[in-house]
Amino acid sequence: MDVDGGGMSTDINNININHPLHARSKAIHQFTQQTLPACKPVLTPAWVIGTFFLMGVVFIPVGLISLHASQSVNEIVDRYDIDCVPDTFKSNKIAYIKNASTPKSCHRYLKVDKPMKAPIYIYYQLDNFYQNHRRYVKSRSEDQLLHGLRYNKTSSCEPQAFENGLPIVPCGLVAWSLFNDTYSFSRGTKKLKVERKNIAWKSDRNHKFGTQVYPFNFQNGSFIGGGKLDKTIPLSEQEDLIVWMRTAAFPSFRKLYGRIEEDLEEGDIVVVRLMNNYNTYSFGGTKMLVLSTSSWLGGNNSFLGVAYIFVGSSSILIALIFLLLHVKNPRPYGDTTYLSGNRKDISS
Amino acid sequence: MKVLFLCSPVSPITNVIPLSLVLFVSLVKEAFEDWKRLQNDMTINNSSVDVLQDQRWESIPWKKLQVGDIVRVKQDGFFPADLLLLASTNPDGVCYTETANLDGETNLKIRKALEKTWDYVTPEKASEFKGEIQCEQPNNSLYTFTGNLILQKQTIPIGPNQILLRGCSLRNTEHIVGTVIFTGHETKVMMNAMNVPSKRSTLERKLDKVIATLFGVLLCMCLIGAIGSAVFVDRKYHYLELWINGDSQQFNPSNRFVVLYLALLLLVFSLQLLILVFCFQVFVLSIFTLITLYSPIIPISLYVSIEMIKFIQSTKFINNDLRMYHSETNTPALARTSNLNEELGQVEYIFSDKTGTLTRNLMEFFKCSIGGETYGTGVTEIEMGAARRNGLNIKEKTPSNAAREKGFNFDDARLMHGAWRNEPNPDMCKEFFRCLAICHTVLPEGEESPEKLRYQAASPDEAALVTAAKNFGFFFYRRTPTMIYVRESHVEKMGKVQDVTYEILNVLEFNSTRKRQSVVCRYGDGRLVLYCKGADTVIYERLASGNDELKKVSREQLEQYGEAGLRTLCLAYRNLSPEIYESWNEKYIQAKSSLRDRERKLDEVAELIEKDLTLIGCTAIEDKLQEGVPSCIETLSKAGIKIWVLTGDKLETAINIAYACKLINNDMKQFVISSETDAIREVESRGDQVEIAQFIRETVKNQLRKCHEEAQSIVHGSTGQKLSLLIDGKCLMYALDPNLRSTLLSLSLSCSSVVCCRVSPLQKAQVTRLVRKGANKITLSIGDGANDVGMIQAAHVGVGISGLEGMQAVMASDFAIAQFRFLTDLLLVHGRWSYLRLCKVVSYFFYKNLTFTLTQFWYNFQTGYSGQRFYDDWFQSLYNVIFTALPVIIVGLLDKDVSAALSKKYPQLYKQGINDAFFNWKVVGTLACFSVYQSVVVYNFVMSSSTTGLTSAGKILGLWDISTAAFTCLVITVNLRLLMMCNTITRWHSISVGGSILAWFIFICIYSIVFVNKGTYFTIYVLMSTAYLYLIAILVPIVALLGDFLYQGAQRWFYPYDYQIVQEIHRHEPEPIGAGLLEVANQLTPEEERRYAFALLPREKSKHTGFAFDSPGYESFFATQQGVTAPQKPWDVIRRATMKPKSKSPRSSQH
Repeated sequence: MDVDGGGMSTDINNININHPLHARSKAIHQFTQQTLPACKPVLTPAWVIGTFFLMGVVFIPVGLISLHASQSVNEIVDRYDIDCVPDTFKSNKIAYIKNASTPKSCHRYLKVDKPMKAPIYIYYQLDNFYQNHRRYVKSRSEDQLLHGLRYNKTSSCEPQAFENGLPIVPCGLVAWSLFNDTYSFSRGTKKLKVERKNIAWKSDRNHKFGTQVYPFNFQNGSFIGGGKLDKTIPLSEQEDLIVWMRTAAFPSFRKLYGRIEEDLEEGDIVVVRLMNNYNTYSFGGTKMLVLSTSSWLGGNNSFLGVAYIFVGSSSILIALIFLLLHVKNPRPYGDTTYLSGNRKDISS
Repeated sequence: MKVLFLCSPVSPITNVIPLSLVLFVSLVKEAFEDWKRLQNDMTINNSSVDVLQDQRWESIPWKKLQVGDIVRVKQDGFFPADLLLLASTNPDGVCYTETANLDGETNLKIRKALEKTWDYVTPEKASEFKGEIQCEQPNNSLYTFTGNLILQKQTIPIGPNQILLRGCSLRNTEHIVGTVIFTGHETKVMMNAMNVPSKRSTLERKLDKVIATLFGVLLCMCLIGAIGSAVFVDRKYHYLELWINGDSQQFNPSNRFVVLYLALLLLVFSLQLLILVFCFQVFVLSIFTLITLYSPIIPISLYVSIEMIKFIQSTKFINNDLRMYHSETNTPALARTSNLNEELGQVEYIFSDKTGTLTRNLMEFFKCSIGGETYGTGVTEIEMGAARRNGLNIKEKTPSNAAREKGFNFDDARLMHGAWRNEPNPDMCKEFFRCLAICHTVLPEGEESPEKLRYQAASPDEAALVTAAKNFGFFFYRRTPTMIYVRESHVEKMGKVQDVTYEILNVLEFNSTRKRQSVVCRYGDGRLVLYCKGADTVIYERLASGNDELKKVSREQLEQYGEAGLRTLCLAYRNLSPEIYESWNEKYIQAKSSLRDRERKLDEVAELIEKDLTLIGCTAIEDKLQEGVPSCIETLSKAGIKIWVLTGDKLETAINIAYACKLINNDMKQFVISSETDAIREVESRGDQVEIAQFIRETVKNQLRKCHEEAQSIVHGSTGQKLSLLIDGKCLMYALDPNLRSTLLSLSLSCSSVVCCRVSPLQKAQVTRLVRKGANKITLSIGDGANDVGMIQAAHVGVGISGLEGMQAVMASDFAIAQFRFLTDLLLVHGRWSYLRLCKVVSYFFYKNLTFTLTQFWYNFQTGYSGQRFYDDWFQSLYNVIFTALPVIIVGLLDKDVSAALSKKYPQLYKQGINDAFFNWKVVGTLACFSVYQSVVVYNFVMSSSTTGLTSAGKILGLWDISTAAFTCLVITVNLRLLMMCNTITRWHSISVGGSILAWFIFICIYSIVFVNKGTYFTIYVLMSTAYLYLIAILVPIVALLGDFLYQGAQRWFYPYDYQIVQEIHRHEPEPIGAGLLEVANQLTPEEERRYAFALLPREKSKHTGFAFDSPGYESFFATQQGVTAPQKPWDVIRRATMKPKSKSPRSSQH
């Protein structure tokens, strides 16, 4: 790449040769005469091959580091929505979940294959749950979450804005469908302490949910969508709600439930006692419980690492192919025989 | 309506602001133009004029002028309104006006006041003027006026002869007094102001097609979404409460058709971006009524961007290009429209006028023959061209040392400075010079000295002849209606100068049937002489018998002159006896005063006296080729452009010019279809019009067929011989007949050059239209005169030469240049670049919006086809306006593949424009593939990589975090992709691309703090605290652009474009300076070499001789035919009017 700005002053056509141009007027002159200094990148084989090699050299290590980070994360995933339905209700799960009197309690045993270092994050994962449906996403009122009942323009919350003629706080489908399965963990006989604080983003807690806003008229309708809220705790401290309200981007998503602040050893059996309250059966969704450690890159997702390695290695491959082609069948650069006029003669 | 708003996923306010931003930009542009216009108007409205008030001339601004005011206009002043001429300082109430601003004719027009009002010259007298004027309503006809002046109870008719039109200026008259009839918008100039028929470029029309296709794609996408939505909507998703909407059935899953319909609407809006981006005006209009605020943003942004780019291209680049600046006349190139810049890069056919376009319209007295002796030693460019054809290599012509001025380029000492007295025929010479000095209708202007006096003539030929007389020592310096004053030198004896007056008794004027002009004059000693000049054929018929030797010699010389491309005239005289004259004069006066058929009768009377003439000699005037024309044409034809010459000249003259311009050479197969054959002449002589027509039609038909067959066999043969077609106007008339038109078209399209001669302005336009419509190729017409207006308007691109024939062609044109040779710069440099740039801009717009929308589209599959937006409203609104707007404009302005000099050095680069290599369906398709690929990469990479917690704190990202990350990747990808498209990268590219990406980050940093009640609150800070953002922001753009990089690399490697090869050849050279091929060599060659070469020229003889008077005839014909071909924009006229004094100063110093 060569910058040709050298010949500019001579190109001013000798008209202004006696008047030294100011930098500004010179720039304007270069602009109007379209002779601004420029670099002219020409994609020669050397550049192509070089770029690909460079990319390979940079990407593969980055990919390896990322992959290592995500591989170091240990994850236990357990789907429980089917197994937690008593056998009598297996054929009619919806009746089971809708019947308030059926026992919802359920036990799961998770085996720890690899040692997990604290903190171990507890996630629940829902599939086929369209938290990103347009109708769902907009059915909330950010202003009400912050200002509570003082804010009454909650038309966006329809159809969960009013119940029995009274406004609902927090209104909208998102809050209404709050996830309400609960988990408690024990190892052997000892109960594992689950830290349920500080699971939501700090900005949400501090700025989006009012400290003086208390739930009101919530889940009072005939049709209950999900969890209930403690009326005595302000929204800014209802972290489950805050987590839930940060709607997920895709229909399959995880949400943070809590942290276990103890290390788990290999071979440990973790007993999970859960309350299977949440209705995913009517829409064919799944529920999973995820225990996962974390690295600097987050959870166990090797996509980035694999992608980096794949791109890096395919770059090197392409570079090699190009190099081979170039060596075997070089095109002399700037060869006039390739000009279309001349090329026709060759082909004919 | 409410439903639609409910359906819209985006709040209206976010669309209003970018819309206003875009509108604001175009508003500023309009305001700027209006401001300039206002300034113009101000200068004009405030220029002052003398108005009669209380017996005094008071100076008031134009704008205060009212109908009925009596005004005084001084010499060279412009008339502030349409005036009725009352009086003039000239005797007889005559004044001269220049109408170049109105009709482009440079000759002066005479206006004469009514006899009754001659006296009102002084203010005292004028204040006594009381009268009433009745006149027609204001109208736009420049050549008619009817009205009455009622003065002292007497009604006097007023005609156009008494009217001074606004826009004209006063010449040769000290001042005039007139009264205002029409002012302001009622003046004829302003009534003529009409909109130029707007021309849209082919690229833009193609763009519309692409957009229409995309609109189809959009509908498909909507349909897919809508069907998906209808399938998805189901009672089971209880958390969506799709059925509890009591007041409306819209989401009742059992009513899926309603859902489908609504979902379709919904998707239309959710994918509105695509609509907005690509929909064209019609669609906008229909949707505008539905959603008043949404749609227009992006089409405006696309069209506004293009418009802005084109505007800057034309005003800053084309208008300011020094390579197209003609310093001699101080004329830069002028783009009168900014619509057609890229059209210049695709021109395949050029239709060129000859006179004034290929040639200079600068008639120079070049040679003459007096009494059988030929004088003048110059060699014309055509002769040099002929010499080159015969293998002689002659360098460019040297500037002659001999006396030279405008109109006189004669180099022969035998006639100069009285040397003619020693020639064999001094008396003949004397008559020759007198004839030149007396027999004309030229008006002298300015001071009465040979250096300062200027001649105003109806045609430049006439001026050249009078100038010649001046240089020979017969200086015509004053004319009154009855007298001509000539300062004669060396007549009695060497060195003696005397002023002689000749009384002009009669002037028998030139017209196209007579082809001659005579003057009867009386010498001081009472001698009566008729001087006559005219076309050789006409004069020879009227010569007295005898002196055959002279006639024969002169005839031969005439033929030689014709061969050399010179325009010839014969001069003759006749001594009259007083008796003959008196008897003739009676008849003449009778004819002149007759009311019916005056013209015909005058012609008949003239015949009576224009006979028994004595031949003096003949003159040869060179119609000089413009500088650089041959090399320009050579370059253009190398660029794959075919050039047709359409001229009013004779076949032979046209062929000669075509040879000289390198349009035709001896290697070419020439097809000549001419009406000047013996067979046709014979039929014509019988005089039966029907028979003539039939005969010519048959002949033309047969000839066309024959030529066409022959052409086909040559084209399909392997010889590769080039073809050329020469056809004259009369044959063309029949060939343009609907039956023969297609044959003519296919014949002429297989020819690389076509010359049409003797064509009328209408035929010029017809031929242009034939190719434009019939062959569907992009055409360009270039001309300078009023007779070219038709063809300039008929072609895709009209170029006017701002030359000597006035402004009319320029007024009708899209681009105005000073010289024909600037066409190479206009087409090969500006046109090609503009085309290249706009292709890039359009395809980039297409690409970036498609990519953007596709990510949205993919996302829709994941949201239950609900039409949930992936990005925040503001992101998607500002995407086009801020985050991706500037770089593409920079590319539209600054990108260039190879430098200007290389563009001209390798004219074949232009062919890519002709073939439309950079914007066709293949290109669009490739782009669309890359768009799909990139959107898939952006969307899927972000999606797949964000399923788990992404910080060490285990917290999960939500919808808006992920969309912000995706948008970041997208903005970076799209901006970097632009850099990959650039051939040159200036620092403005880097600044704008970097700035755009930076603008996004600045925007999101501010935006995500300010709006607490948005989903995007704090997202970017959350993201920036993760390593994820940085990894993805590096990976995604690189992977997305990898495809392009690979494609570009492979394309350049295996299927390089021509420009890429040229780039490679000149890769390490700095921008070359100079004009390459086109540089006109100014080397001085020794005089001897030139003479020698001239002597070696083969002396061919031509049956036909050029004749000087043909072009003005066409001119006036056209002016009357058209009637209303005034300038299109009033302010243009006015601007010229205000600019005039400035531009005049260098010109006057020239003479």
